[in-house]
Amino acid sequence: MERTDTSCALCGVKLKNPFIAASGTFGFGREFDRLYDISCWGGISVKGLTLKAREGNPPHRIAETASGILNSVGLQNPGIEAFINDELPWLAAKGTAIIANIAGGTEEEYVEIARRLSDASVDIVELNISCPNVKEGGVRFGTSPSSAARIVGAVRKACRQPLMAKLSPNVTDIASIAKAAEEAGADAISLINTLTGMAIDARTRAPVLANVTGGLSGPAVKPVALRMVYETSRAVSVPVVGMGGIMTGEDAAQFMIAGAAAVMVGTANIADPMSGPRIIAEFEKFLADYNIKSLGALVGSLKT
Amino acid sequence: MQEDDGIKKTKPLDVRAAIHRTAWIARDIREITLEFCEDPRALLGEPAKPAEFFSPVSPLPGQFVHIAIPGVFLRRPISIAGHDGRLLRLIVRRAGRGTDMLCSLPAGSELRALLPLGNPFPLDEIKSISDCGGDVWIVSGGIGLAPLLFLSGWAKESGIRLDSFAGFMDREKIFGVSELEACGVCGLSIGGFVTDLITESLKKRKPGLMIACGPAPMLAALQKICGEHRIAAYASFEERMGCGIGACLVCNCGFHENGGFRYRRACIDGPVFSLSEASF
Ligand SMILES: Cc1cc2nc3c(=O)[nH]c(=O)nc-3n(C[C@H](O)[C@H](O)[C@H](O)COP(=O)(O)O)c2cc1C
Ligand code: FES
Repeated sequence: MERTDTSCALCGVKLKNPFIAASGTFGFGREFDRLYDISCWGGISVKGLTLKAREGNPPHRIAETASGILNSVGLQNPGIEAFINDELPWLAAKGTAIIANIAGGTEEEYVEIARRLSDASVDIVELNISCPNVKEGGVRFGTSPSSAARIVGAVRKACRQPLMAKLSPNVTDIASIAKAAEEAGADAISLINTLTGMAIDARTRAPVLANVTGGLSGPAVKPVALRMVYETSRAVSVPVVGMGGIMTGEDAAQFMIAGAAAVMVGTANIADPMSGPRIIAEFEKFLADYNIKSLGALVGSLKT
Repeated sequence: MQEDDGIKKTKPLDVRAAIHRTAWIARDIREITLEFCEDPRALLGEPAKPAEFFSPVSPLPGQFVHIAIPGVFLRRPISIAGHDGRLLRLIVRRAGRGTDMLCSLPAGSELRALLPLGNPFPLDEIKSISDCGGDVWIVSGGIGLAPLLFLSGWAKESGIRLDSFAGFMDREKIFGVSELEACGVCGLSIGGFVTDLITESLKKRKPGLMIACGPAPMLAALQKICGEHRIAAYASFEERMGCGIGACLVCNCGFHENGGFRYRRACIDGPVFSLSEASF
């Protein structure tokens, strides 16, 4: 059988397939590269980067839930300079698109990080205005159209690469925020980040996570994510990258049918470190089984 | 850099394994041996046929396996309690949904397991201290004995003497003692503090090194004792894990380092760490 060409372009960046490892679940790729060749991914979105190194939140940082996990890592990362000097040279040579996921406590920080990335071999900058696990910044920038527009606009001016705004599901009207980000200059929209939640140990009456609340991800959030990708892709004309609970190739197809031009896979990498290549292979098989000749025939093809 | 040290280690394999034997060996404590199936790297494999004499990995004492249990979302890290070249031995305490499920699986059940993961105990250091006539003590609390049984088995094979101090909550929870006795003198603490036993013994002898695994309060008490007596010690740490391979940063434990504080990943920087640096 003929293999369907799954290569695609995401705001001008060529991806060998529409699968991107989601930020925070894949580190900087080194650990997974010991298990399999990470160049099988269309792209890799690296762990959220801040201006200075961050230690993150105290343990416990993870709680298992029905069909998913809560995490409260809190953007632990070595800082933008260490990323550029110690991680990027290795990663950029891997032959997969590199997406720098960036987060700041203030608008100035976001702008400064984007500026420092301007000469770096990064293909896309993903603006994380949706992290629920930090005290300053993070999701606070992503919960109203005006604040989202302000930060996207400021970073757009400083950023040499295509800019993708990563949105939070912890909002009432996702489409209005996506539209505001698009109008402010975002070249793509990615969603969803995690849903704020919590877990309690009834015997000790203590929260399971030291941070009390955390971000919910995995199959538990998939219906919410699908609905938000659907609403967003109808509201904007820039490409939408969908994620939230993708565990199989068919899950990925559902996101594309809902309107996603590409998808990200996060928690699946944590639950099963070998799931990346498996999901990509399953997706190709799905295309072959249903005689789908191009990605274009799938994206946004929802029959209503 | 620590990250690089982690990465240079042997490649872990995601393998299919079948439960060879499973039995309670103490209250809520089950011994499970796994047999590896053929074709360990198959991603979308056909039904497994357990191969009779085949182990694709050579784990060392202190390393763990990240095991996928049907019906629970995340894999569970389980210390390796032994490996004979063919069978992998685990000793599991029933302590929650995942381990409950694992303990209820009958022989023949198939599982996926990623191994070997993490850093082993400092085997070279144990050897050289022992070669120079020094004592090495192993200290356990409850299920913390599991990885130390792998170590004691290795020591026996290598002709190294290990004296041990094993703490158990009560008599029904005791396991593994005959194995400890096979490679040295074994002191038991039942329902008390194993560290009291250590304090007593230190009046008579001082070891060159201690290797420990057990609950955090036990490790904290041992850290204090080792600090006061200037005895080097390593411990295997436990934290909830996600990926098990170092990528997700959910398994961090706190350590003092160069006067500062930093988190390190239990799964890949550990689980064996120098006890003196741990922050409890
Ligand atoms: C442990 C963990 C860490 C994460 N860290 C980040 C991060 O640094 N930046 C970010 O934009 N999203 C982060 N996320 C969110 C994921 O990238 C993704 O948006 C979310 O988990 C939903 O997708 P999934 O269900 O496939 O995981 C993290 C998620 C998890 C589980
Ligand atoms: S469990 Fe993912 S980094 Fe340790």
